[in-house]
Amino acid sequence: MRITPLAIASFVLCAARALADEPCQSPYIQKLVGHEDYVYVWTLGVDGLGDGSDKLVTVGANPTRPDFGKVVSTVSVGGRHEAHHAGFTDDRRFLWAGGLDTSQIFVFDLATDPAHPKLVRTIGDFVEKTGGVVGPHTFYPIPGRMLISALSNAKDDGGRTALVEYTNDGDFIRTIWMPAGAEYGYDVRVNPHLNRMLTSSFTGRANYMRPLGALLGDPEAMKRFGDTMVVWDFHARKPLQTLKVPGAPLEIRWALDPRHEYAFTSTALTSKLWGIFRKQDGSFEAVELANVGDPAKTPLPVDISLSSDDRFLFVDSFMDGKVRIFDVSEPRAPKLVLEKRIGGQVNMVSQSWDGKRLYFTSSLLANWDKSGAEGEQFLRAFDFDGRSLKPAFEVDFTGSKLGRPHIMHFGREGFLAGAAAGGAEVAELN
Amino acid sequence: MRPRARATAILILGAALALGGGPGGPRESPSAAPTGPAPTARFEPPLPGSYELPPFGHVRDHELLGPDGAPTALLALGPGDAALVGFVYLHCPDACPVAMAVFQEVDRMLAERPELAARVTLVTVSFDPARDTPERMASLRRALDPQGRWRFLTAANPAGIEPVLSDFGQDLVRVADAAAPPEVVSHMLKVFLVDGAGRLRNIYSSGFLDARILLNDLLTVLHE
Repeated sequence: MRITPLAIASFVLCAARALADEPCQSPYIQKLVGHEDYVYVWTLGVDGLGDGSDKLVTVGANPTRPDFGKVVSTVSVGGRHEAHHAGFTDDRRFLWAGGLDTSQIFVFDLATDPAHPKLVRTIGDFVEKTGGVVGPHTFYPIPGRMLISALSNAKDDGGRTALVEYTNDGDFIRTIWMPAGAEYGYDVRVNPHLNRMLTSSFTGRANYMRPLGALLGDPEAMKRFGDTMVVWDFHARKPLQTLKVPGAPLEIRWALDPRHEYAFTSTALTSKLWGIFRKQDGSFEAVELANVGDPAKTPLPVDISLSSDDRFLFVDSFMDGKVRIFDVSEPRAPKLVLEKRIGGQVNMVSQSWDGKRLYFTSSLLANWDKSGAEGEQFLRAFDFDGRSLKPAFEVDFTGSKLGRPHIMHFGREGFLAGAAAGGAEVAELN
Repeated sequence: MRPRARATAILILGAALALGGGPGGPRESPSAAPTGPAPTARFEPPLPGSYELPPFGHVRDHELLGPDGAPTALLALGPGDAALVGFVYLHCPDACPVAMAVFQEVDRMLAERPELAARVTLVTVSFDPARDTPERMASLRRALDPQGRWRFLTAANPAGIEPVLSDFGQDLVRVADAAAPPEVVSHMLKVFLVDGAGRLRNIYSSGFLDARILLNDLLTVLHE
């Protein structure tokens, strides 16, 4: 038996990578650390625009390839379902994409031909199988399974909702209803190192399918938004602690370094950045960290993205169409380092593993998006050098008759095929 | 992972390299990966029986080769038994030694609980049978010195392992990479908990491969 420096180095590298991934992907997934060839955009159909259907749009993202900045392919699913979120299976071969309105789930094969995804399965009985859960939102891969957070329920279209688990083959496993006093749901994220899962809270179908103007003018309806986050024992799937985070805490991002025992979220209605910190006794505290713009103007923070070195937190706000980049090296004292208007409206943001490329899309919800000049619908790509965002390309989703773009995920030719060109990177996937 | 498992993993890694020749060298790492030693797991696992592990699919038994080269069943489970199954290959530079180290820790824990050990089988299966012959698996077995039922299996040829991988949903990518000879077999590290009826009860990946969790899950399933 021999123990070599290489052996130890390899092992330490492996241990340090246990949580590593593209910044916002589940730690249980195969990660893509190099340059993406494609951005997959789950897109909400618009009546009278193109075929009017929700679709998965594949856009070229590699400047060395001829399809850079162009639409490579589209796959329509038929009908409009309030396309919103989507997530890879743990082997990254399939993308599950949900409809918040119809609760249908569409499963795309990305592995066979990364440039041309194929719709291979539609789960149409989600509400029935889950015992009345409505609005599948986050698709969060865990080994061999998909953990899904939802927004609503079939009984009253309110905010009481659940977490749901499916096998990768699309078979229902179980429903875990949110605990009393924290019934709302939105995002779900796991920190395996701490065996802790965090969930956040939004609002039910009756609100998120309602026109935004009418909703904002209805004080009773505006009371029906979540103001809690729940800390769970992930392995046991048991709630441990409810944290008060007023104003609909939405996306959750755990820090990636295992030594960084905290997560971030932003609150839509109160325009705040919050930190969820592990305390000495192992419990967690929610701490208000900063304003996102001027809360009095309701910028409506929506998506967030944390860089893989836990340094930069990108916060999109829908109403002012801006991204704000915070340096969160000191997580309890974020510093705003850049504020930039991306468009008339902006919702989602995704970044490459190395943090050098940022992608933004525009649509929030069918009945909440802006109209007129500010209602532009786009995918805009930027290069980021740590100080500024420089435009790389954009796709006009209205002019291209595609619809309204939502969540983005990355793909690469040869990523799963073991081709020589991608070999060194694929070898990183352990 | 606890310090003991980590130390064991380094030893096993050395043994695996000595057996298999070792990889060509370190490969590209994410530039932003955290540096320095990873801390040990900072949680207490939930108590056995305090949670549910609902079954989600079946796996079949398969005929493979034991370390003596003779055909043997992959699982050979009876009612009331359970198995932990992990797929590895001996040239594997990082994840597989971790899995084997955790298995060794579970093996040692089981040795202190004979009533439990009698109902549990650990199974280490090579998915690189072209190089991992029964003789090499026998060498690995000697290096790990199992105290309980711990099977070390391979197949007669690569085609022989494919149905097993497919059945379990263990993905792998064969990588032809000049920078890392010999051939690297990239895979997501997964360990599978199978009950006596052949039902999958849990799947663990590297972020959650903790001997204490594995033992508590075995107790949870066996005491239903």
